[in-house]
Amino acid sequence: MDLDANRSLIAAALERIPGGDRAALQTVYRLTSAKLFGVAIRILGERSEAEDVLQEVYVTVWRKAAAFDAARASPMTWLIAIARNRAIDRLRAGRQNRRMEPIDVAHEVADTAPAADSALENAQDHARLHGCLEGLVAHEHAALRGAFFDGNTYDELAERMKVPLGTMKSWIRRAMIKLKSCLEQ
Amino acid sequence: MTDIDDHSSMSEDELLAAEYVLGVLAGADRAAAERLLQRDAKFAAMVAAWEQRLTPWAREIADVSPPPQVWEAIAAALPAPPRAGLWESLAFWRGLALAGALAAACLGAFLYLGALNREQPLVATIEGGGSRAFVATIDAKRGTVAVVPAAFSADPTRVPELWLIPADGKPRPLGLLRADRPVFITIPPEFAAQAVRDAVLAVSLEPPGGSPTGAPTGPVIGTGKLTSL
Repeated sequence: MDLDANRSLIAAALERIPGGDRAALQTVYRLTSAKLFGVAIRILGERSEAEDVLQEVYVTVWRKAAAFDAARASPMTWLIAIARNRAIDRLRAGRQNRRMEPIDVAHEVADTAPAADSALENAQDHARLHGCLEGLVAHEHAALRGAFFDGNTYDELAERMKVPLGTMKSWIRRAMIKLKSCLEQ
Repeated sequence: MTDIDDHSSMSEDELLAAEYVLGVLAGADRAAAERLLQRDAKFAAMVAAWEQRLTPWAREIADVSPPPQVWEAIAAALPAPPRAGLWESLAFWRGLALAGALAAACLGAFLYLGALNREQPLVATIEGGGSRAFVATIDAKRGTVAVVPAAFSADPTRVPELWLIPADGKPRPLGLLRADRPVFITIPPEFAAQAVRDAVLAVSLEPPGGSPTGAPTGPVIGTGKLTSL
């Protein structure tokens, strides 16, 4: 499907939700739930909790759709942020993160090519971010990956990468500063 | 190697926004970021900017189709739709139709609408040949017209079509009607401004599928003026 058309379909449906249009929420769900379910599974590491989170996400969308501003944010960015936050909340409320195997920077897998997803995200934005991430030091890149995809905290990342907590904080903060500066060029 | 504490290019608040979006905060730190997000518009803007920067990374995550029970659970968790139910309940209208009490149908509709709408509904009794064929009620707020069949018998070869005839006398097609049950039509937005008091509703008999020309082609079996109660 044409990307812009898909984006405006989602944005238009989001705008109808504050009026109580259930069909509009169903349209948003139909167009976006596979992506958001993938995100929730990736962070939580299993399906049944991801199903609960997905349900919470769309009930949140129903309640908060009026806060979405199509002029300021892409609808997918807004939705994925809600899904990541709900999944992280669930992760923090539960036991320790399942993803605690040591991160070996030398053998860290490189970023994969974009998955064959519903192509809702802008490919150019991804390519630019990818280029900037490649410019980071390997351990910084690995730490950001652990946080973004595995939902690890500072403490968990320090344990997985066998460095003191203060070192991990410095790595991440410095990586974020470099990332911002690279993306602004 | 540069000083690792050199954060000069980003304020503490912006670093907190970045950490929050990345997801590395836990416990009190995450709660503090969420509180700030609620009450500090500047911080909220920083969070939105970091979401914009990092979210494209999620493109690497493959889609996974959720099982159908997830949508069912969501639909069940939503509040009941406002003003649905009785108004759209076919059984309700059928019950009234079976009673054969047109007056009751009108009364029921208006009592119901009156209880829910501050705006007065418009009603037209569509009559022709000495009998009432349909009763139409317009809900201007929702932009819909409900048409209940009264003394109208189905014609095997032709279908009843509803027209709106405003002051200019030109009929606008609203939709096809049924002899056996009420029909709820959404008034096309371009005609909504003309669905006002004293405009006329008319029903003509048209070939299956409706008038091919956009204007009535068959006999007009009834007309009625829109009035407010």
